Amino acid sequence: MIEFLQQVFNGLAIGAVYTLIAIGLTIVFGILGIAHFAHGVVAMSGGYVTFFLIEKLSVPFFVAMMLAMLVGAVLGLLVERLAYRPVQNAAHINAFIIALGLTMMIDGLNLLAFGPDQMVIRTPFQSVFNLAGLVVTELRVYVMVTTAVLIVAMSFFVSRTKTGRAIRAVAQNRSAAILMGVNVNAVALVVFGLSSALGVAGGALVGAMLALAPGLGESLVIKGFAVLILGGLGSVPGAIVGGLILGVSEALAAGYLSSAYKDVIAFLVMIVVLLFRPEGLLGKK
Amino acid sequence: MKTRTSTMVSCMLGGALAVAMAFAGAAEKQLTLGLNDSLTGPGAVYGLPQANAVKMAAEEINAKGGIKAGADTYTLNVVAYDDKANPTEGTNAVRKLIDRDNAQYIVGFCCSGPTSAVASFIGKEKVLMLVGNAAERSITTLGATNLLRTRPPADFTGAAAGTFVASKGAKNIAVIGSLDVGFYTQYLEAFEKEFVKGGGKIIAKETFGLKDRDMTPQLTKVRALNPDAILVLGYIEPAAFVYRQSVEMGMKVARYGFTSGSEEQFLKVATTEQMEGVWDLRPTELTLEALGATAKTYVANYTKKYSTPPSPSSPYAYDQVYVLKNAIEAAGSASDPLKVAAAAYKIAVPTEAVMKYLPVAGMMFDQNGQAYTSNGAFQWQKGKWIYVQDLPSDPAAYSTYLKGLRK
Repeated sequence: MIEFLQQVFNGLAIGAVYTLIAIGLTIVFGILGIAHFAHGVVAMSGGYVTFFLIEKLSVPFFVAMMLAMLVGAVLGLLVERLAYRPVQNAAHINAFIIALGLTMMIDGLNLLAFGPDQMVIRTPFQSVFNLAGLVVTELRVYVMVTTAVLIVAMSFFVSRTKTGRAIRAVAQNRSAAILMGVNVNAVALVVFGLSSALGVAGGALVGAMLALAPGLGESLVIKGFAVLILGGLGSVPGAIVGGLILGVSEALAAGYLSSAYKDVIAFLVMIVVLLFRPEGLLGKK
Repeated sequence: MKTRTSTMVSCMLGGALAVAMAFAGAAEKQLTLGLNDSLTGPGAVYGLPQANAVKMAAEEINAKGGIKAGADTYTLNVVAYDDKANPTEGTNAVRKLIDRDNAQYIVGFCCSGPTSAVASFIGKEKVLMLVGNAAERSITTLGATNLLRTRPPADFTGAAAGTFVASKGAKNIAVIGSLDVGFYTQYLEAFEKEFVKGGGKIIAKETFGLKDRDMTPQLTKVRALNPDAILVLGYIEPAAFVYRQSVEMGMKVARYGFTSGSEEQFLKVATTEQMEGVWDLRPTELTLEALGATAKTYVANYTKKYSTPPSPSSPYAYDQVYVLKNAIEAAGSASDPLKVAAAAYKIAVPTEAVMKYLPVAGMMFDQNGQAYTSNGAFQWQKGKWIYVQDLPSDPAAYSTYLKGLRK
């Protein structure tokens, strides 16, 4: 039983990172209809910025992460303004190709700036607590708590602020929002900034818990899209549930079967869910 | 008369010029040294230092006047390609070296996947292939007489490691490794055979992928079995994640491994505190205490040239270049690589070799084209790999065993 609980705990920490990545993807897709495949490498870039701030400027972890989120938000704004907006009225394939190009370009820039080696973001959260046999590592607790805080903050922003109302208006009915005087282009900028900031937080947390490495962004974005589909396109609660399910499924598959099957099992869970709920766990029909 | 004299002088001058050009050609002959290694991707931790070592050795030889064979003197021109630790890329790279660059001598080969792929066809080519760090046993059992390897196969080391761990009193050991990779499986089979003889038992075999970073599921499973020790078989980075996360999970068991990583490589993933006490049971590779003066010079030169210390396994490639030099000198010419290959079987260990080789019948390579180094137990102590003891191994007996497998 302890072993099972341990696997679940470990899976929840990884799932928390998937959740952050997936929320960024789901708000961009749900509100703007863009499959932002470059989201993973933007997240990794933020992780590298966090690493740089900690290693070179000795900035504390959470301060470094927040600064990196700001940098990520600016990067998100630039991506929207310079890459996606020019093709917003073109066929979807254009935005898709741009996303792939951005992925390669940003990944290449990360490789050039930080090299091919894996990098671990060092944190002071090294304590280990033993709760009746269940090993709880301080860092993984921080990962889960940080994710929860960011989700609450984002929900507050979207539900309680004027900008948030504008975002919801565009998500519900873009044409009506325009008629009501909502600046849709400004909303798109805010959404990309918000999405990228959340992704960067995910990148920083995965860099602390595991490592940063070239190519990791692509892997994260694939998981993010899997969560998006599992939870339901455009659904934030769906992204939370889907992310945690994916993380725990992977941990259980690697623990009880084999690491070689963990992706297979995780995606099998996704397929089974979609068989019964094609709109995803919490998606709208 | 004047015309005849003029013709004779012209002929004499022409002849003298031809002789001079012939000598000039002999002095300036350039030998293309093909280098195939994993310069990017997961194998780059082994391949990049190997490639650097080859280039350094070639520059040293050139600076000392090149390779003198018969009337000719050869300088080495290294042409390098990246196999990305991928069999298809490795095959393509070697085909390019042979077909386009006309390379007759090919060195490098850190990783078993691409090396095995190339080994499967190299016997039909008129080239000499020298393999470095790739540890898959079958590389020297395919029967290619133009293929020689400086690193011993993984199971040669695994057997010695099994005896050592049993002598340390471990009874139940859990294995976590890249067990879908052939040479790690071979290491484990040999390890298990000797470990069981010593009264031990392997209670779990957990796998991780080359790109896996989260090892907590496997460690959680292993921890529940309460082993005396864990054995980690894998590339440096995933192995470092196992060591790091085993400490993060509060596991207090002996940790053994087979990785051949340098301090700098491990410290990119784990802290020195997380590494403290870890054993690496591997060929006696680059460790100054174990290898002495030649190794010190090698480390100093490499560090000066590349601004980073060499990886422990990089001298396998460095030594390849000196093997080639001695073999060409012994053959008397570099024009026939198969003749040079035949000569390589009969050379002693080069004096410039960094690794501590165990000659078989006085020669560096045995009848299978296989060289052997001693095996050693290294332990991480206060931020450094410390050579603790030799792991007794019998190259002659292993050579006979390998001969039995050879096609």
